[in-house]
Amino acid sequence: MENHERVGKDYEVTAEGNGTKVILMPCSGIGKVHGLIAREATYAVTDGLAPEGSETLCLALLVSGDEEAQAKIRKADCIAIDGCPKLCAAKNVEMAGGKVIRSIRVVDAFKDHRGAEPGTATTLADDGWTIAREIAADIAGCICAGTGEVK
Amino acid sequence: MKRAVLPCNGLDKQHGVLARELALRLMETQGAEVICPVLLNNSPARYEKALAEAPLLVIDGCPTRCASKLATKLGLRVDDKLLVSEQAKAAGLDVGESLRPGPVGMQLVDVMEAGLASVEEPVVGEEPSASFESPTDYLTVTYDKFVFKIPGKDYLFNENDCWVRVIGDRARVGVSDFVQQSMTDIVYFEPAEVGRKIEQFDEIGSLESGKSMMDALSPVSGRIVAVNAQLADSPELVNEDPYGKGWIAEIELSDFDSDKGLLLNADSYSKVVEKKAAEAQH
Repeated sequence: MENHERVGKDYEVTAEGNGTKVILMPCSGIGKVHGLIAREATYAVTDGLAPEGSETLCLALLVSGDEEAQAKIRKADCIAIDGCPKLCAAKNVEMAGGKVIRSIRVVDAFKDHRGAEPGTATTLADDGWTIAREIAADIAGCICAGTGEVK
Repeated sequence: MKRAVLPCNGLDKQHGVLARELALRLMETQGAEVICPVLLNNSPARYEKALAEAPLLVIDGCPTRCASKLATKLGLRVDDKLLVSEQAKAAGLDVGESLRPGPVGMQLVDVMEAGLASVEEPVVGEEPSASFESPTDYLTVTYDKFVFKIPGKDYLFNENDCWVRVIGDRARVGVSDFVQQSMTDIVYFEPAEVGRKIEQFDEIGSLESGKSMMDALSPVSGRIVAVNAQLADSPELVNEDPYGKGWIAEIELSDFDSDKGLLLNADSYSKVVEKKAAEAQH
């Protein structure tokens, strides 16, 4: 929990949001460190780097056929953040009729971090946090704060 | 037998986050197999064996019950269910609004875990055999600036650049030095499922680098009894030691005498590498 607490100081995570923002959709990613990085990168943007321009949506809610979630995804631009090459997030957003304006893969970030020790499926190590922050900064850099538009 | 656990995605609601935390806790303490709800929805076959053999616990965070809906949609047999929001109410614990589990949230996870005793002794994949040591003698194929190493004895190869080393009725398999040099830095490894029966040339895992992807094809038939778990966190081991620490899977052989007919020794495989290296340059 030490690492969670450290990041929490930078950006407090809440469950608020509205329907006009860019939707960041991380894969479910449970059981793998790549998925955890996708999730943390998402939280870092929605609750720290660009809260005015972004929000997130539960992918399982979308694939379970929730009508409200599907209506929401069809109205907003979406950035998919997938842990692995299976691209569960990007594929399911598109299947639900959403528009994926960027598809980000965590495995690609590892190409610049050869030999990195990211941690485990439950806890990120320093290298994992570094990669999550880089992905978050990349995403936030293309979201115009306050408008939900993408540069 | 270990338990299979299907949690909700747990991303944007505090009780969902705790559903996920509980699933991961059970993975760590009871050896439970955690089932990713979205991957399950996309590729049910991925979890076919686990769902057939292990009792299934479904954990929902909130009354929307996404995980339960998914289980119903796929016709899964559910052995136990748990709704985190109900558990919180029953325990009198207010976990707050934060999506990062705080002390009260983790207390609730402790309470829920305590109520879920291990079903039986967990079963894990067989231990990898310690008998397979890295080779010391190599043939080399030199092409342009590249030098490809090929173990000179005990190893056989298929034309898909995968090797096999056999000790008794068990084989260890992996990809060749030619593969790792051609792919450059390998950043991701997806293992095959332990316990699956395979035919010769069936997929035994996939690799991805910044340059390309590759499905490794088994040189032998049999049953996968172990996979190299280290590759999940350290796929670069394939680059560093393709014939040793970068092994992919261990297989209990079923028909090696027949499989051998389609395999190459080091001398023959060196000619395949020479040809492929030349083709890659043109």
